[in-house]
Amino acid sequence: MDVLNELVAWFSDPGQWSGPDGIPVRTAEHVQYSLLGLLVAALIAVPVGLLTGHTGVGGFATASLANFARALPTIGVLFLIVLAAGIGLVPVVTALVALAVPPILVNTHEGVRQVDPALKDAALGMGMRGGQVLLRLELPVAVPLVVNGLRTAAVQVVATATIAAYVGVGGLGRYIVDGQARQDLTMMLGGSVLVVLLAVVTTLLFAGLSRLLVAPGLRSLAAAHR
Amino acid sequence: MITFEGAAKHYPDGTVAVAGLDLTVESGRTTVFVGPSGSGKTTSLRMVNRMVEPTSGKVLVDGRDVRSQNPAQLRRSIGYVIQQAGLFPHRTVRDNIATVPLLLGRGRGRARARAAELMDLVGLEPSQAKRYPHQLSGGQQQRVGVARALAADPPVLLMDEPFSAVDPVVRTGLQDELLRLQAELRKTVVLVTHDIDEAVRVGDRIAVFRPGGELAQYDTPERLLTHPVDDFVESFIGYDRGVRRLAFFPANHLSLREDVVLDDQDTVERALNTVDTAGEPWALVVDQRRLPLGWVAADRLRREPSGVELGRLDLTAYGHTFDVERDSLRAALDAAVLSPAGRAVGVDGDGRVLGVVSQADLGGAIWSVSG
Ligand SMILES: Nc1ncnc2c1ncn2[C@@H]1O[C@H](COP(=O)(O)OP(=O)(O)OP(=O)(O)O)[C@@H](O)[C@H]1O
Ligand SMILES: [Mg+2]
Repeated sequence: MDVLNELVAWFSDPGQWSGPDGIPVRTAEHVQYSLLGLLVAALIAVPVGLLTGHTGVGGFATASLANFARALPTIGVLFLIVLAAGIGLVPVVTALVALAVPPILVNTHEGVRQVDPALKDAALGMGMRGGQVLLRLELPVAVPLVVNGLRTAAVQVVATATIAAYVGVGGLGRYIVDGQARQDLTMMLGGSVLVVLLAVVTTLLFAGLSRLLVAPGLRSLAAAHR
Repeated sequence: MITFEGAAKHYPDGTVAVAGLDLTVESGRTTVFVGPSGSGKTTSLRMVNRMVEPTSGKVLVDGRDVRSQNPAQLRRSIGYVIQQAGLFPHRTVRDNIATVPLLLGRGRGRARARAAELMDLVGLEPSQAKRYPHQLSGGQQQRVGVARALAADPPVLLMDEPFSAVDPVVRTGLQDELLRLQAELRKTVVLVTHDIDEAVRVGDRIAVFRPGGELAQYDTPERLLTHPVDDFVESFIGYDRGVRRLAFFPANHLSLREDVVLDDQDTVERALNTVDTAGEPWALVVDQRRLPLGWVAADRLRREPSGVELGRLDLTAYGHTFDVERDSLRAALDAAVLSPAGRAVGVDGDGRVLGVVSQADLGGAIWSVSG
């Protein structure tokens, strides 16, 4: 109970809500790193996944790369990049991108692969060219899986962006790293609660995004299969 | 006109899908490719729109080698209907149908207006325009598939087992629809099927394929049923081909009996006289306009008071009738077999009774045409 009371006190302290190391600024930083990492990862992984899925070329390479990347310890990657590129935003975002690419890539690739071959056949048979098959058939039908990959990646990125604090930049990780240094358990706990909350909000946002992006026909189809 | 000139397809694994096809498909007619599984029907069909490239020989549409045209452009000028319809799940019925007009750069408004016309043509309700494919029945989905293939008004329509995924009753309805459409549109249709009955129903010409991708016979349905070229074709078209063949003989040569057709105001006494003179166990009762009312058995007449009018009796249902001028011997035989009296009722175009024919008389007629 003591811990809970101290946590409530920590959150209610007005000092916590202003200044350069206040919760709003730290959260904004955290969101900024996460968004940047996710955006760069999506810009790489979605087109590559669409292409490998569409052509069927590089499917094995994609899966292997994704598995390899998944096995990498993010913190290890971070320190490697810091050694190579120095401290700052770049190594943090690079590490987050490395983390986010595999789920987006694998889901996009799979999303395109699982489009019924008969539909592709019909599309080609009606005179669509390769690019038209990709944009008018494969992409819209793959959207549910693509959004799924983005959501998985986003939640991981939000949780992992705390590592930014280890290399001297901001974000909610500061509370955890600084709390550890000062042996301030309440501060560490407060930081963790904020990260969890942000991850929950992210999940909710993606649920909304999927309603927006998935074609209504696919949504009602999925509902009918349930 | 579509011409196959020695068109063959050999796959690298050694499979001979089509062994070298020489065949001319007439314009404005329905040509059916039929044969057992793996006999190269689909492969041959897909050579026409370059979904398959022949390894030797060529395919010409109206004298022009299909390989001289860009595949995408060629395919936009050829309608293509596949099994299970292959509709896009993320698009509404209307937008599925508008696919090719949109590819051809027609504006969305024009493409949708065209889609509405086609929905009407293939018998879909306007209210279904904004539905998604999975919200339709199998038969309706096939109609959408046909509408989509016709949207850019192509002169040629390729159909690969278009009706195989629906139940027999719906299938018959769709076949009728195709016949109706074809009478109106006169497209050059090539249709692939496993089903010899379907082939006989919708085809003007039938190409029978045999395993190994060879053409076994190419003929009109009637020639095919009466003169199968070999044992393979004969067994493929089945042992009931004799009954199927009757579909090609008109019923108007049948001799109909008028003496046992009685008026509903005639009395039982008069009827008994008639059946006894004719030596017939049944008489047909008609109303004042000669529309059929039902059968009455001779045994039954003997148990009724002699003064009663026939119209007052409970009559036995007359079942199906056949149109003497328009129906075939097969329809007449069907009507007789299904009738409780074992006799078929022949009517004119307005449904008025011209006479009745017994199974025995039908047998004679069948005997005389099947020699
Ligand atoms: N890509 C391919 N590689 C190797 N063999 C193939 C290929 N495509 C088709 N075949 C073979 O070619 C033969 C003819 O196939 P096709 O699909 O034309 O038959 P079909 O008459 O349409 O049969 P079905 O009635 O079952 O649809 C079959 O033996 C098939 O296995
Ligand atoms: Mg086939």
